[in-house]
Amino acid sequence: MGAIREAFDFSDFPLVERIGFGIFCLFLLAFPWLGMDSFGMAVMIQFLLFSLFGMGWNTIGGYGGQVELGKAQYVGIGAYTVAVLMVRWDIPYWFSMPLGVLIALGYSFLIGYPLFRLKGHYFAIATIATSLVLQDIFINWNFVGAAKGIELPIKGNTFLYMQFTNDTYYYYFILAYFLAGVLYMNWFRKSKLGYQLRMIKIDEEAAESLGIDARWCKIKAYAIASAFVAVGGSFIAVYNLYIDPESVMHLELSIMIALMAMLGGAASLWGPIIGAAILVPLDRYLGSWLGGHKELMGVDFMIYAAIIMFIAAFEPRGIWGIVERYRGRRT
Amino acid sequence: MAFLEVRNLTKDFGGIVANNDVSFSLEEGEIVGLIGPNGAGKTTLFNCIVGYYRPDGGRVIFRGRDITGWKPFQTAREGIGRTFQLMRAAGELTALEHVMVGAFLHQEDRVEAEREAREVLAFMGLEGVADLYLTELPLAIQKQVGLARALAIKPVLLMLDEVASGLNPTETEEMVKLLKRIHREKGITLFLIEHVMEVVMPISERVIVLDGGMKIAEGPPEEIAHDEKVIKAYLGEKYARGL
Amino acid sequence: MVLADAFIQGILMGFLFALISLGLTIIFGVMDIVNFAHGEFLMLGMYTAYCLSISLGVDPLVTLPLCGAVGALLGLVSYYGLVRYLLRGPMVAQLLGTFGLMLFLRYLAVFLWGIDYRMIKKGLLVGKSLTVGPFHLDMTKVVCALLSLVAFTVVSWIIFKTRVGKALRATSINREAASYMGIKTERMNALAWAMGGITVGIAGGLLANFYYIYPMVGLLFVMIAFATVALGGFGSIKGAFFAGILIGILETVFPIIGHLLKTSIIGPHYKMTIVYLAYFLVVVFRPRGLFGWEQ
Repeated sequence: MGAIREAFDFSDFPLVERIGFGIFCLFLLAFPWLGMDSFGMAVMIQFLLFSLFGMGWNTIGGYGGQVELGKAQYVGIGAYTVAVLMVRWDIPYWFSMPLGVLIALGYSFLIGYPLFRLKGHYFAIATIATSLVLQDIFINWNFVGAAKGIELPIKGNTFLYMQFTNDTYYYYFILAYFLAGVLYMNWFRKSKLGYQLRMIKIDEEAAESLGIDARWCKIKAYAIASAFVAVGGSFIAVYNLYIDPESVMHLELSIMIALMAMLGGAASLWGPIIGAAILVPLDRYLGSWLGGHKELMGVDFMIYAAIIMFIAAFEPRGIWGIVERYRGRRT
Repeated sequence: MAFLEVRNLTKDFGGIVANNDVSFSLEEGEIVGLIGPNGAGKTTLFNCIVGYYRPDGGRVIFRGRDITGWKPFQTAREGIGRTFQLMRAAGELTALEHVMVGAFLHQEDRVEAEREAREVLAFMGLEGVADLYLTELPLAIQKQVGLARALAIKPVLLMLDEVASGLNPTETEEMVKLLKRIHREKGITLFLIEHVMEVVMPISERVIVLDGGMKIAEGPPEEIAHDEKVIKAYLGEKYARGL
Repeated sequence: MVLADAFIQGILMGFLFALISLGLTIIFGVMDIVNFAHGEFLMLGMYTAYCLSISLGVDPLVTLPLCGAVGALLGLVSYYGLVRYLLRGPMVAQLLGTFGLMLFLRYLAVFLWGIDYRMIKKGLLVGKSLTVGPFHLDMTKVVCALLSLVAFTVVSWIIFKTRVGKALRATSINREAASYMGIKTERMNALAWAMGGITVGIAGGLLANFYYIYPMVGLLFVMIAFATVALGGFGSIKGAFFAGILIGILETVFPIIGHLLKTSIIGPHYKMTIVYLAYFLVVVFRPRGLFGWEQ
């Protein structure tokens, strides 16, 4: 099918980038055999997961130009669907995950419709509000375990429930999602919706004059982003085997996702990956180092915050923006 | 049945009546100009037709359908294309990609959209700039890309918003020739909102004049140039001497 | 009776909300930036009152001017150190930038004071109550509400009656025209941030008298501030006042209604939810709020 061909077609990228990404993929495939400790493995898994989140956010936040800060609620939807279905009715992952994605899609259309009447600051604040509302609901809803969260029963090694005793399996699992995500984004940016979205971002009025229903396009992109993120959420459920509203629907999670994409360079394919590659190890290693220094609590976020402010003030297009600027492409 | 009919159009901005009971019509295949001094209500009228504003009174009827109050993307889908005075140039899309977005209105497939876009660019003699970003192009070329983009949606009525603003005399001449070609070879009806008389007068078959929100004259360019009301409205604009 | 009591409490809190939101709406009116760090300014104002009253052994009310000063300083430093650069960039950058400031200040507080909840326990007003007719009111809240009202009036007077205030308003109505008239927009920007900082610093100092002090408190109140400003209309001072009161009433009365209707769905744990929902509804169905401009 044409779409599959498009997804694998990276020919419009410069050769340097293609080779670089190829090497990176080989590295990723071989990683578990490179003799890393379990901490390193955990970091890599986080990196791949957050790249996935970042790429998803990118559809609406980067290409679409609508900065939204409420992605965590969809992580929650994905995670909780899998968790609840498994704990209550013993439903395998491969049924609950798609269901979670469907719920995420449905919910995103539902709130997307009024949300996208808004623009700019109002929109961003509204996305925060919706995420906080949902988190509030989950904290108080006994059906999903309220504030205590849900602990998933351990099932040993099983592909049916996607639980494993060896982290390596989880690694390849998330790697598969990651690669699928990259291929999807590659197709997306060249698709009709991708072009329309980019036009909307540059000049919404002009886009409308070309027959584009801007609001509907944004909603579609938002829904896609939500689906991406819900898939990641479902992974978290079977990986951590414990979820609660605080960990999967936290506002800080939404911020990290947006930040990663923006740091690396929103509106580019590599941006979210670069952003995750910097922030995830930073977060993990800094976090563990600080863990031993209780008196320095809070410093890690201060550093992220400083990075955010710096990027915002001097290079809003992120690291990839710097690369592109170096190449001579002006904005 | 007229191609485009504007009937008793009124638009009121909280006290300021920008368009006051304006009526006129266009026939298919015409080139019609809309002129008037600053503040006459030309832009408001333009926006009421394309859908950016909702008129407070009156109707806009296009090809027999009442499009009053339709949103811009809906009027575009009906076949009304438009250009913009200001092209928001950002370094994110090339000229080709801009035109492709237009082509996507009738196309689902990217390869086809690209082919169509290249055709339009070739028609306008812009193949050379296809892969350049708008920020790298001079204003006159940017405006031509904007025109190409509008053409890509295959409009039957093209509304041109001050298409000559910011152009020097040579560029203006080029634009006039281009518009004539578009009209001749593509059979598109043209409706120009213009300040620059060197563009409107030579190519319009008919000119409508607005002043203070109302239509004060309508007719062939030569008549309009000598119409007392029009001259008064402009208070001695250079065009009267020119023609 | 309980309802009437809640109503009064709501109005009292409302004055405070109005004061908190005043700074946000001034900054937005003058330069179209939403200060995400606004809640953190409030939080730091609270900590100022707390630290000063404990270390100097004075009543927290005495620390108010200093809270204001700290707020003003924060505002100015934020403007000259960050916001000035953000204004040059796209809106995305502005959002991100003040967001970063918010995180920075919040975790600075975590670093300096830890995440424990603190409370001011000694003071002229703490723990005393006032009886007006059938109502038993918390003395602290009453005084704070009154002081908020005073502060709000003073600031409004400055904005509407003084030359400097008029220059500020001119800039917020039409930046370009104001600069043609000789008003230095750069100074107006800084002034807006300073004023925003003072008001919210003082509000923090007042709030500290009866509310828990902890680093995350900023998030709670910034959402209230957003809801208030949205409801009142971004940029409208009058709007901030009335909306503040409305939100105050909404926030206190809502759980009571739930209690009266004997449903557990509407309860105190959903207090914030109602505020978020209020924001959402206002912004979607009437973006310009009660008194704001066309979007």
